[in-house]
Amino acid sequence: MAFLLRRLAFYLAAFLAAATVNFFLPRLMPGDPIQIMFASAGSELSLENLNALKLTFGFIDAPLHEQYIAYIKSVFTGDLGRSIKYFPLPVTELLGRALVWTLGLVGIATLISFAVGTILGVMAAWRRGTLFDSAVSLVAIFSSSVPAIVVSLILLFVFGYTLRWFPNGYAANPLLDPGFNWTYISSVLYHGTLPMLTLVIVLTGGFAVTMRNNMINLLGEDYIVMGRAKGLADNRVMLFYAARNALLPTVSSLAIAMGTVLGGSLIVEVVFNYPGLGNTLYQAILARDYPVIQGQLLIMTGAMLVSNFVVDLSYVLLDPRLKKA
Amino acid sequence: MSAPVLSIRNLNIDYIGAEANFRAVKDVSFDIAPGEFFGLAGESGCGKSTIAFAVSRLHRPPALIRTGSEILVDGRDVLELDKDALRRFRWREVAMVFQSAMNSLNPVLTIEAQFYDVLHTHKGMSREAARERAAELLKLVDIPPDRLAAYPHQCSGGMRQRIVIAICLALNPKLLIMDEPTTALDVVVQREILQRIDVLRKRLGFAVLFITHDLGLMVQVSDRIGIMLEGELVEVNDAQTIYRSPQHDYTKRLWASMPKLHGDQIRPEAGA
Amino acid sequence: MTLFKQLLGNKKALVGLTILVAIILIAIFAPLLTEYSPTRRVGRPHQPPSWDHWLGTTRLGHDVFSRLVHGARVSLAVGFGAGLMITIVGTVLGIIAGYKGGVIDEVINFFTNMVLVVPNLPLLLVIAAFVGQAGPVVIALILGFTSWAWGVRVTRSETLSIRQRDYVKSAEMLGEPSWRIMALEIFPNLISIVGINFIGSVIFAVIAEATLGFLGLGDPNTVSWGIMLFNAQNASALSVGAWWDLLSPCFALALLGLGLALLNFAIDEVANPRLRTGGMLKSWSRMVLLGEGKL
Repeated sequence: MAFLLRRLAFYLAAFLAAATVNFFLPRLMPGDPIQIMFASAGSELSLENLNALKLTFGFIDAPLHEQYIAYIKSVFTGDLGRSIKYFPLPVTELLGRALVWTLGLVGIATLISFAVGTILGVMAAWRRGTLFDSAVSLVAIFSSSVPAIVVSLILLFVFGYTLRWFPNGYAANPLLDPGFNWTYISSVLYHGTLPMLTLVIVLTGGFAVTMRNNMINLLGEDYIVMGRAKGLADNRVMLFYAARNALLPTVSSLAIAMGTVLGGSLIVEVVFNYPGLGNTLYQAILARDYPVIQGQLLIMTGAMLVSNFVVDLSYVLLDPRLKKA
Repeated sequence: MSAPVLSIRNLNIDYIGAEANFRAVKDVSFDIAPGEFFGLAGESGCGKSTIAFAVSRLHRPPALIRTGSEILVDGRDVLELDKDALRRFRWREVAMVFQSAMNSLNPVLTIEAQFYDVLHTHKGMSREAARERAAELLKLVDIPPDRLAAYPHQCSGGMRQRIVIAICLALNPKLLIMDEPTTALDVVVQREILQRIDVLRKRLGFAVLFITHDLGLMVQVSDRIGIMLEGELVEVNDAQTIYRSPQHDYTKRLWASMPKLHGDQIRPEAGA
Repeated sequence: MTLFKQLLGNKKALVGLTILVAIILIAIFAPLLTEYSPTRRVGRPHQPPSWDHWLGTTRLGHDVFSRLVHGARVSLAVGFGAGLMITIVGTVLGIIAGYKGGVIDEVINFFTNMVLVVPNLPLLLVIAAFVGQAGPVVIALILGFTSWAWGVRVTRSETLSIRQRDYVKSAEMLGEPSWRIMALEIFPNLISIVGINFIGSVIFAVIAEATLGFLGLGDPNTVSWGIMLFNAQNASALSVGAWWDLLSPCFALALLGLGLALLNFAIDEVANPRLRTGGMLKSWSRMVLLGEGKL
């Protein structure tokens, strides 16, 4: 419990740091920070609306530290301002809608690639030096070296434009009404295949290598030799003695990998015109819609911290040494 | 002497290297009688652990047991066993205590689970039957049955060592191999464990292959002792002879290198 | 030195090095490899690959091959420049934290962990968005500023174990100043970690440059692989069938990433003997097949 509380406190500090970056960025740029921040608004926003926005971002007639407190207060009360491009849509609402798609994409892709990569890594380590091992290593090198942007563009070209097996964009057929029915869900799955596949290709190799190396480092441990000496079936030793222990460091590397996953999803969404955070952000960048761009960092950081916390939780469940102590 | 429980004949083991091979065990032959306490001594790296691993065929590449070697357990050549027969043979006939007590229990399984997987695999026992049997076994080594629910990290080093021994006895093996089992423990615990093994051996009738570099300790507990030097078995004799009138130069030098203080304290057991 | 010798005997390292050297040579000699300027209209828009234009032309009639080989310069420069910065910051902070310990360690470690949980690409995007169309130098600086944390973490944990070694202890006994110990006793033993960190950072920086460029955060007047992707995407290259426009920088990025990754895997294998599956396993399997022995 103490372990989890410590992690929570740390995540709070990390979130504060991301908000601090947001606060100082416009103020560090040469020129008038208010001008920079709301440049894209032009003269379209009424003075009243503009003043409300200024207040949210801490642009008040007060010393810097009071401005900071004002901004942090809005962030922690869930007020991330309003999109300038889609005024008066609140940033949280705009990003919240997009977040659902991104989380679905990222969550499922991470689960698939973690499962597949881990199993491949376990088997490669267990059959170390065989053809299978070399094949896994080779595939892993390819998978972990080719960036998401390249994989997604090639998949889009081959399966989207040339073979026309999969659609080139959107989360679902735009003519369908969203609903909890098979027609809509199958359309979502169909549209999600290529973005998902990109992330799985990019992530699986890394998990496989991590798991393989962790396993190999463990194979000489006495408890694994003892498992074999006990006459247990090969699979039992491989899974419950070796893999089960090698999983611990692999799970903690998953926490760091989440950054790559979220970054990868940004790109994939832009390439496949998928309505998640990445695409929303891309539109915001093109329109220099800074409240949305800043809100995106906070939402992404929040997503990262939540997934890190989930990793912490599963770590506690997986390692009996952390439960009581 | 009745038919030996372990009979090693012309055992040669290599570690295969990219350019040259290293012969870790050179043409070693010796026997262990049923119920006998046999010690194998030598400096680290002399090949004694390599022999211990070979008996249950636990080696991994690049180790290679050369063709022509024989390891007979109860008259059956272990090297001829196929995969399934080997799995049935392990632990049922030869159980093993490994070097470090700290690390030979799987840290993520409860003690009970580590008894259960042996008893279930070899005897097909149910969870309840296995729990009962495990409690009996723990009693042999003076550990209360409530420890079954514990994880290894919740037990002390000496306790873990005794748990491993209890797991070793689960299937009434004919031979118990102890590969430097006490190096990580302090002297008091070390002695206590060896005494306990000796008592259990007399009660249950298994033979012991005890491996250590501590010749003084070995002379106190063993019936017979083999001395190894650079992969070769240079001398095999009963413990008394090894202590009082060593034949081989190397054995003499081993004694000479032991600290005097230690030498004075030795009270060899009268033959069992 | 033995590290380099061992690397030359490693197949992965050789293939990786060959790819890398080839790309570097192409970048250096770019003007000699093509008669076309990368920034001038030299043909009709969106011409497919032909003898005159090996990789076709862009929508603006630029020669894709010329842009690719010239773009390699910027992509490599950003990659190696940012990679170097990331590595220096990571190594210096990591060694100091690991060796000095105490409050210094706690402060460095806290900030490192904090930077590690703030997702990197979104952070980069926010900064780049405020900077506006960032040139290569600015992009390299931003990358160097935000991406050092992983390096600190691995360097620190390795330093913690090296600090306990005898030669460090004896240098301390002799009263060597701590900067000397860090530079002369600890750093040389971190070479493989530093190498892996450097190459990994170069890969990261090359990809990040491409990504920022693709998202329209780069300076559209530079010629780099990221800007090529951006232009091709803006020209809807795929939907009008001009695949060469988009796929050329894609393959260049993939090839460079592959070469660098091979090098990194090779260093890992050489530095960590347990991971190696070298010649000994081959001769072992041969001997088992020949019936010379078994396990």
